[in-house]
Amino acid sequence: MKKAIALMLALVMTLALAACGGGSGSGGGSSKPAGETLTIFNSKMEIQSQMEEMAKQYSETKGVPVEVYYSSDTVAAHMATKYASNDPYAIAMVDAKDVYSLGAEHAADLSGEQWVGDTTQAISVDGKVLGFPVCVEARGVIYNADAIKAVTGKDFDPESIKTTADFQALINDLIAGGMAAPTGVMKEDWSLAAHFLAEVYELQDDPDAFIAGIKDGSIKLADDEVYNALMDTFDVLKENNYAKDAAISAERELTEQKLAEGEIAFMFGGNWDWDVINAYDYSENMGMMPVPSALSSANTKLVGGGSKYFYVDNGVSEELQQKAKDFLNWLVYEADGQDFLVNQCNLVPAYSNITLAVGNPLGSSVKAYADKGALIGNYNYLPDDHYAKCGAIFQKYLAGQIDRAGLAEEITAYWATAEVGAH
Amino acid sequence: MKQNTLSYKVKQYLMFAGPGTILFFCVVIIPFIYGVYLTFTSWDGVSATKPWVGLTNYAAAFADKDYWAALGRTAIYSVFAVVLINVLSFFLAYLVTSGVKGQNFFRSGFFVPNLIGGIVLGYVWKFVFNRAFVALGSAISGGTAPSILSTPSGAMLALIIVSVWQYAGYMMLIYVAGFMSVSEDVKEASSIDGCTASQTMWNVTVPLMRASFVQCLFLSITRCFVVYDVNLSLTKGEPFGSSVMAAMHVYNQAFTYKNYGLGQAEALILFLVCAIVGVTQVMIGKRGEVEA
Repeated sequence: MKKAIALMLALVMTLALAACGGGSGSGGGSSKPAGETLTIFNSKMEIQSQMEEMAKQYSETKGVPVEVYYSSDTVAAHMATKYASNDPYAIAMVDAKDVYSLGAEHAADLSGEQWVGDTTQAISVDGKVLGFPVCVEARGVIYNADAIKAVTGKDFDPESIKTTADFQALINDLIAGGMAAPTGVMKEDWSLAAHFLAEVYELQDDPDAFIAGIKDGSIKLADDEVYNALMDTFDVLKENNYAKDAAISAERELTEQKLAEGEIAFMFGGNWDWDVINAYDYSENMGMMPVPSALSSANTKLVGGGSKYFYVDNGVSEELQQKAKDFLNWLVYEADGQDFLVNQCNLVPAYSNITLAVGNPLGSSVKAYADKGALIGNYNYLPDDHYAKCGAIFQKYLAGQIDRAGLAEEITAYWATAEVGAH
Repeated sequence: MKQNTLSYKVKQYLMFAGPGTILFFCVVIIPFIYGVYLTFTSWDGVSATKPWVGLTNYAAAFADKDYWAALGRTAIYSVFAVVLINVLSFFLAYLVTSGVKGQNFFRSGFFVPNLIGGIVLGYVWKFVFNRAFVALGSAISGGTAPSILSTPSGAMLALIIVSVWQYAGYMMLIYVAGFMSVSEDVKEASSIDGCTASQTMWNVTVPLMRASFVQCLFLSITRCFVVYDVNLSLTKGEPFGSSVMAAMHVYNQAFTYKNYGLGQAEALILFLVCAIVGVTQVMIGKRGEVEA
């Protein structure tokens, strides 16, 4: 009897173990049966619910099971863990720099696809098109025209603000009119370093040469015209920040709420901020304008371009890769796909054949600038630690711990050991 | 059946401890060895090739100033947190074993923070520090009061407060068990011998509870050294990277900056530091253990 029980126990344990082993095998393997499920990784948190809805509909109408995953991790970090566990997505939405770092090894060649001819934003590595631009995003100063009009009594014309002096004058008017602090500044490292500081490189004639110059010491960042012009404007934003005394603990949601409701009038950001703003009781007339500065070549243009790229994994089965390509074509060429991109997700399409009007004010500002060719391209080759390390340095500046020269010095020190990504 | 033959013992071991041993090997020992192997490569975390680079990563880890700063910060944080956690939890345990009314309610109440995950807890406290305290401070002072999360020392203080709040209840349970295990006989004997209540406490109860102290110190030291979740959700290393603890630095190094080998080497150093501190503490603690 005892023996029988012992035997049974041992059996149960073996079974449990086998189950564990089996489980990890199927979970960790890329050996899912061919053509099973089209797995899509979404790294835009704000469109996750739309993505899930779309997956359901796409599965029904096309007969291809689609599953959408999201991770709040840094994209590169999440992809690293997926590849480490040998469980790639069929389609992954990543940032431009990730296409350069992952693409050569993991992305399928999409050069033959029709949409390549309809966009200017696709990413090619070694002559092969690897990245499908999901949307166009651009950075600039977001304004609340209703809030400005309520104080000044005049319609706000964003084109009238070109230089830092124009901007300062308007801010002075707003303060005189009773708006205590007209600006907000996001303290997030990605906003400060990856978005604002990056413009210092992007507005140069040749960003590569500029960074090389900083590295070898032939260019002094502190004396650079672009750096100083942009920092002049940043100082205006910083000085008039509603959270000036506690800039470093200001929460993004609160700042955007104030902007949406007209308590403040300006914030440096991008059209993705709409997804935060529209959660609040936002004003009708909002939009984006270029960062005002003394740089006449740049103060009429937004900075941006293709943002978030899909790539098809070359490690999954041929059949699944084909389904992935079909999906990308569906997005660009079928009414449902276009509707999903533009109307459901509120994205600015990167494809010239899509003519749907962009619904949200920030997106339509971006579309307007993009249509007239007034976009300065992204510099997609910053090192992976740039946003975190320079973000921390920039936060010190925001908190008033270092001055402009100190900021330049620390950023130069960062570049002494950093290397731009291969491109 | 003979019970002292080797084959009998092996069978018995395999039957009862075998599954556990195999699982332990699969999920702890093998990944650990593989991890050690990765420290000798310059793998970036995604690439298919793992080039062998020898000891380069260790050299880089020793040269990585940010890492040593993070480790030093972690040590400071751990010292404060461990002391406060243990003082507070000992005090709480004393209170809830002293026979106050509703002591079971208090016991579970103090334990609850430990049931909330570190991530959630961090966000809750972030709200408290950034909104509630700021609103309160502003109302009292009349101006805008800065959040304590906006200064490096404030962020550190916030981390310590939250960790103490999180772990005090858990350690309290161990101390409660310690208090309960000291038999009434010896306490009564000491009071008959003329001890005051506090003399009984320091000379009888506390020495007999030494095992609880060793355990609580070990648990709190090791947990504080590898703190990550509260660090991530409460401060995320901000302001200006001044609250990045060792574990967060290791994670960033391996996954965000894509230096997997280097990150792994730094993780191994963290493990060694943690193990040395923990084991030394247990050895010292055990040496003086007394039994009634």
